[in-house]
Amino acid sequence: MAVLVKKVELSLLDRSYVWPIAKGMVITLRHFLKQITTPTNKRFTIQYPDMKKPMPAGYRGLHELKRFEDGAIKCVACFMCQEACPARCISIEAEEFSELNFTQGFEEKRPSVFKIDMLRCIYCGMCEEACPKDAIWLRGEYELAAYDRLSLNYGKWDLMNTYAGLDGKLQVGPAQESPATASRPVSA
Amino acid sequence: MFLIFALITILGALAMFQQKNVIVAGLCLVLTFFGVAGLFLVLANPVAAALQIIVYSGAIMVLVLFTIMLLNSHEEEPAIKARPIQRWVGALLIAIFGAFAFRIVAGSKALAAVNDKALPVEGMNLNRVGEELFANHLLGFEIIGLLLLAAMVGAVALTKKEL
Amino acid sequence: METLAHLTGMSVVTIWTLLKVLLVFGFIMAVAPPYTWVERRGSAMMQDRIGPNRALLFGKWQILGLGHALADGIKFFFKEDIVPPHATKRLFWLAPLLAFVPALMGFAIIPFGRSFVYQGSMYHLSLLDPGNGMGMLYPLAIGAVAVYGILVAAWSSNNKWSILGGMRSSAQMVSYEIGLSLAVIAVFMKVGGYDPADIIKDQMAVGWFVWRQPLGFLVFFTCMFAESNRLPFDFAEGEAEIVAGFHTEFGSMKFGLLGLAEYAHMITASGLITTLYFGGWSVPFMPDAPVLLTILAFMVKLLFFMWVFVWVRWTLPRFRYDQLMFLGWKVMLPLSMANLIFNAWLMSRGG
Repeated sequence: MAVLVKKVELSLLDRSYVWPIAKGMVITLRHFLKQITTPTNKRFTIQYPDMKKPMPAGYRGLHELKRFEDGAIKCVACFMCQEACPARCISIEAEEFSELNFTQGFEEKRPSVFKIDMLRCIYCGMCEEACPKDAIWLRGEYELAAYDRLSLNYGKWDLMNTYAGLDGKLQVGPAQESPATASRPVSA
Repeated sequence: MFLIFALITILGALAMFQQKNVIVAGLCLVLTFFGVAGLFLVLANPVAAALQIIVYSGAIMVLVLFTIMLLNSHEEEPAIKARPIQRWVGALLIAIFGAFAFRIVAGSKALAAVNDKALPVEGMNLNRVGEELFANHLLGFEIIGLLLLAAMVGAVALTKKEL
Repeated sequence: METLAHLTGMSVVTIWTLLKVLLVFGFIMAVAPPYTWVERRGSAMMQDRIGPNRALLFGKWQILGLGHALADGIKFFFKEDIVPPHATKRLFWLAPLLAFVPALMGFAIIPFGRSFVYQGSMYHLSLLDPGNGMGMLYPLAIGAVAVYGILVAAWSSNNKWSILGGMRSSAQMVSYEIGLSLAVIAVFMKVGGYDPADIIKDQMAVGWFVWRQPLGFLVFFTCMFAESNRLPFDFAEGEAEIVAGFHTEFGSMKFGLLGLAEYAHMITASGLITTLYFGGWSVPFMPDAPVLLTILAFMVKLLFFMWVFVWVRWTLPRFRYDQLMFLGWKVMLPLSMANLIFNAWLMSRGG
């Protein structure tokens, strides 16, 4: 069955074109005036490198390795995340340590190496789910690009410090653990 | 001034005949029209100059070039060798026409007026053209209008298959 | 000015003319690049975008993207100047000039301010003094010639799309010129003269022609768009169907000149609309405005119409070719004729 397209009958006013054109001009003028009077930071367009959209709370971007208040790492190197990771991008090496710290309790194990290959990671958040200590979570940072593959192999201190800088907290630890830390600008 | 414009006119016309390329020849003809318009300006007749440019270079030559472009774009016509007799006849005709044109110009009242320094040179303007056209030459004007109308109707009748 | 005349050994009139030429052409050349900027930013604003704003002046100042106009100019100058191998070379070189020069010349007749008397001699603020006998026929003639730039550009680049664009554009220009001329003739008739000075004086005395002949204004306005090859009548170009039309093969400064010609054309067209229908340099309700104020009034009107050109471009979609011909021959021509006959009838009744 064919679809009957009803032909739109234009009124005389519409067929004269003058009035519809005037209407159209008014519409564009309205948009123009509205846009030109809106300050730049309130326009629809987000001028990306200068302005950034705040990410929603549940956004899964770059991981952060959480710390205690005194700056010590929360991770206990239990390898749960490494096991849970479907992309197998996390590699952990554990080490013993025996400093007694009352905020942490009596943990005796911590990661000496905690690497996430960001090129492999699929940002699924399974590590976050698997972690028994809430020591890893995925946050809003999404500018993950580099000129070579190695610098996207994020180490322990990268993961701990990236957000510390953003949150205005103290960055603790050797800053030059990997070249990535130095080359990646922490945008404000 | 006169020499410049006359040279433009004549050189444009000569270049037009020399060109093998039809479009370039057409552009040379436009140049000639400009020269003629300049000559009108020298004769204190800016109206004729403006009309020359509007009508000839602006409308007619555009249409001619349009048609040429529609028909063949870039073919250059091979020059046809003229026979000696054609050349002689051509030269003769040019001489005859030149003589007649010279006689007409030399015998015209306008030239006498130009030579007569007592008459003030009055620039032509559109108002005078209009008065002349509608007061003194109304019949001719109407007949030309009718003729053009007939030509237009004829052209439409020729080109349209079903009317 | 007398000292200058004395120093250079030229007459005051020559100096004054030279000054005006410099002023007007300098104005057009200076306004064209910012005009491209207005076009781009304006279109962005109308579409709720931001528009070009990344080019920095000396790597520092972002001044709303004005650097883009400058950068474009620099780019045009330093790009490789390519002539396609099958182009007709001499015409290919000539074409941008043929487009650019008439576009500039048209402005010469437009008075941009009140004539004034200074130390006993009269100074006119237009390149061609009033009473030269050409009057408003001059811009019509120049406008008629302007099509050659496009035609020659199209033909010499030996490209199918270019030729298509050039042919469409020439057919369009010829069609719309008739409506344009007839609309202008109605103005001449009412004024009883065709000198821009007379037309402005009449409008100062009686009223702007846009109120007295709205139909004529409509026709003239539309035809002016068609004459300057401007959207919605940009049939010489048309990215969707014929690539870039007549300037497909052009690059570097040749393309720049063709673009400048378009903008110069728009400026001239705005000047014509202002002079013919909006009272030229006259200031409303001020018959004896000072000279500078008249120049200012003219500039305001001119800039407004230049803006209208941009405004219309980003509002209306393009026509189809048959619609263009329909509009030109079956709407604009009868409308302008009706306007002419109606006005003649009014005048015959002593109106």
